Amino acid sequence: MAEVKYLEATRIYPGTDKPAVDRLSLTVEDGEFLVLVGPSGSGKSTALRMLAGLEACDEGSIWIGDRDVTLVQPKDRDVAMVFQSYALYPHMTVAQNIGFPLKQQKVPRAEREKQVLEAARILDLVEYLDRKPKQLSGGQRQRVAMGRAIVRQPQVFLMDEPLSNLDAKLRVQTRAELADLQARLGVTTVYVTHDQVEAMTMGHRVAILDYGVMQQVATPGELYRHPANLFVAGFIGSPAMNLIATTVEGGSVVFGTEHVELDPAVARAVADGGAADIKLGVRPQGLSLGTTGVPAKVVVVEELGSETFVFVELEHLGRTTRIRVRADADYHVSRGDQTHVRVLGPVHVFGADGSRLRNASEVEG
Amino acid sequence: MTAHTEPMGSPDPAAERAAAIAEFQRRDKWRRRLPLLPALLFTIVVTQVPFIFNIWYSLQDWKIVPPRGPDFTGVANFTEGYSNPFFLDSVVISIGMTTAAVLLALLVGTMLALLLDRQFFGRGIARTLLITPFLIMPVVAGLLWKNQMFSSTFGVLNAVLETFGIDAIPFVERYPMWSIVTVLVWQWAPFMMLIILAGLQGQPSDILEAARVDRASGRGIFTQITLPMLRPYMELGIVLGAIYLLQVFDHIEVMTGGGPGSTNVPYFVYQRSIGGGWDFGQAAAYSIIVVIASIIIATFALRVLSSLFQRQEPV
Amino acid sequence: MTLSAADRKLRGESRWGTFALGVITWLVAALFFFPVFWMVLNSFKTELDANTRPKLFFEPTLDRWQAVTESIQGVLTFDTAFFNSFLIVIISTLLVLVLAIPAAYALSIYPIKAWRDALFFFISTKFLPVVAAILPLWILAKELGLLNTHLVLIILYTAMNLPLAVWMLRSFFGEVPRELIEAAQMDGTGLYGQIKDVMLPIVAPGVAATALLCFIFAWNEFFLAVQLNPVEGSTVPVWVSTNVTTRGNFMAKLSAASTLAVLPVVIAGWIAQKRMIRGLSMGAIK
Repeated sequence: MAEVKYLEATRIYPGTDKPAVDRLSLTVEDGEFLVLVGPSGSGKSTALRMLAGLEACDEGSIWIGDRDVTLVQPKDRDVAMVFQSYALYPHMTVAQNIGFPLKQQKVPRAEREKQVLEAARILDLVEYLDRKPKQLSGGQRQRVAMGRAIVRQPQVFLMDEPLSNLDAKLRVQTRAELADLQARLGVTTVYVTHDQVEAMTMGHRVAILDYGVMQQVATPGELYRHPANLFVAGFIGSPAMNLIATTVEGGSVVFGTEHVELDPAVARAVADGGAADIKLGVRPQGLSLGTTGVPAKVVVVEELGSETFVFVELEHLGRTTRIRVRADADYHVSRGDQTHVRVLGPVHVFGADGSRLRNASEVEG
Repeated sequence: MTAHTEPMGSPDPAAERAAAIAEFQRRDKWRRRLPLLPALLFTIVVTQVPFIFNIWYSLQDWKIVPPRGPDFTGVANFTEGYSNPFFLDSVVISIGMTTAAVLLALLVGTMLALLLDRQFFGRGIARTLLITPFLIMPVVAGLLWKNQMFSSTFGVLNAVLETFGIDAIPFVERYPMWSIVTVLVWQWAPFMMLIILAGLQGQPSDILEAARVDRASGRGIFTQITLPMLRPYMELGIVLGAIYLLQVFDHIEVMTGGGPGSTNVPYFVYQRSIGGGWDFGQAAAYSIIVVIASIIIATFALRVLSSLFQRQEPV
Repeated sequence: MTLSAADRKLRGESRWGTFALGVITWLVAALFFFPVFWMVLNSFKTELDANTRPKLFFEPTLDRWQAVTESIQGVLTFDTAFFNSFLIVIISTLLVLVLAIPAAYALSIYPIKAWRDALFFFISTKFLPVVAAILPLWILAKELGLLNTHLVLIILYTAMNLPLAVWMLRSFFGEVPRELIEAAQMDGTGLYGQIKDVMLPIVAPGVAATALLCFIFAWNEFFLAVQLNPVEGSTVPVWVSTNVTTRGNFMAKLSAASTLAVLPVVIAGWIAQKRMIRGLSMGAIK
């Protein structure tokens, strides 16, 4: 168990000029479950592989514990990795797969079998020990890959989208099991995914990357409530936050036919920076439909059973704009109906450079 | 592993770090190269050393029968050899023989592959029979065809012709090159067949289904989907076949002994050296000419191969 | 995937059409195989029968087989030739694998920057006719005392087959998913462990196909054997050619010798057919 540190770590693929990972600086606490999340091409897998030693670190450094491992071979870093495709050795049985790293460490046979059995017990694989990977289901293979990583008792677990190849239902179930396992073992874990729901539900903290640059690292709650910029705001939360360009009048921001009052610190920031190019962000959960508010027309209704999301069209700054609004499950509308949208809050304001303008409470606190 | 303090600020740790990274990359490069070295060195020594010797010999006037030299004569061997009509004949034969054999083998092989590309009773046995000619020793194949198929006295082909009232044809005597080409095609069509068969079996059935849904005819499917898909396999067959067929020797040796009309370049060069001519200087010069020509052909052929390599990009 | 009944219907073939094509294929196969069949047939004839007009029916005898396998002093014999061939071919094939497997690894897994150049170099050595090199090879072999030895042919056959082996093995190695190698690295293996424990078991069929092809080409090689080992250490192809004489009738004896000569390779090829097809297709294309 150890702390992991990226210090201005950079990776530029030969032949390209834009870095795949751009001066990443990140500290993962001992025992923490940190999720690296972002769209494809964001560099999250690359960053993980740099920690594994499978990808070179062109500038900066990477530390595990108090060791600078930037130039250390993967096998000497004391980390274990679970691959997206599981990478199970097809010609070996489950027991041999799990025991393989121990064999490389020259662990004597009896001891090896004991540890393999232990790992199999934790992962509920005992009855499959003699099978070959091709005789296993996707979920079972995933567990074998986990077993192979666990049995090494490494300082850090690395996981590269280990749930992506499972079907949706299994994914949700395995998510919880994985989080539980990590909590029990207490090993520092760095986990990569493109699915923000996975990130939010599993991570102690989540680091969001876009084009190799880290956008924000914080707890899920913090990311949800106080996204650092437009990218994070649009990425976290499902369904996504509504982001519309708007203008400021007085101390309020325009929303359709309404004016929403701004927090004084935000208003001041807008005034300082000029009122051009600002965006308003409000989540579907921060809006409601009813008889008062901005007039809007229903376009699409998404009934989920527990709640309903309604796509509506309204006039905003002379243009027809579409936003998504959350409604209770028993609120019934159909396409073409007229309704009104009201802002419940909270609203976020983003400046011209995309970063979110801070509230008074954040500035002081 | 020694513990470091975080490298920040002062230039010295940074320079140390850069040096460490450079050293690491250097070692990594050698780690990648090392496994290749034994094979590479072995090949270089065994194939290039004789070549270097040949260059030396080619500049000598050196005969064994009658004994003369070695005396340095510069490029005399080359100028003499380059315009030798027999040499030029052998070049023509080489080109003709190889082209005919490769293309005919590909044609026959493709037809065989198309026939084999279906489930039918005894398919495995049919395939087994068909690949046998490729496994036969070239010497045996040449002798077999010369004495038992082509022979005018007790050859099977002439016996068949006789039953149709046609006079016996001394195939090997009258058509030396084409007799040899026949044997080459017989032996190499199965090779082409295997390659094309691999291509046919790689056809994804969903494309065929889509074509059917789009109401394509059988012939249409073949010419517009199958044939284009087979192209890389055909190219591979041509290149591999040409590599081996350019160097045909055994068949010529046992079937015609290098008579006129059947001597290709390798056989010609052989004749010049230890095959009877014993003119080492000349033979070496011819070898050099052949090598240079091979390099030119190889560069051309490898451009074809490199398009095949595009499909396999390692990281 | 070979065409199944469903695919045939897709192609618009009727069941009778398929049957007819099947019969045609059988006929073509039989025709193709006929020369080999005839040769084997002839080996069971007496010289009298064999050296006249071809006939299908005769009284079979094992006489010529006996003649071809007997040991005569001072003449290259069957058992010597076979022993030499097996020794030379097996050792050279093993040597090829030992050299080619690491080379294929270096060209596929973590390839050097110039991997294409290296591969081209290997293949280019096959474009050089061996005939062009025979003179210096012969002189070198003579100087080094390697004429008429097993060693000289082992070395040359290895060099002859190495490019093919490197090319094919490289393709096979390329098929192994990258992540498998990376997992092996993280599990603590070095180069040797990765090859032995992970790669070779997975590409074993490809290695077998490559070895078989090397075996075939080395076994059938005639030119180098007859030039460099004319007296001792001669191989089977040379032995076959010694059965061609200008005196007297020899057809049946030659047929027997020929059949014996091609038997090992043909049997190996027949047994490993599927592997070889898979090997040729995977190794050569993809």
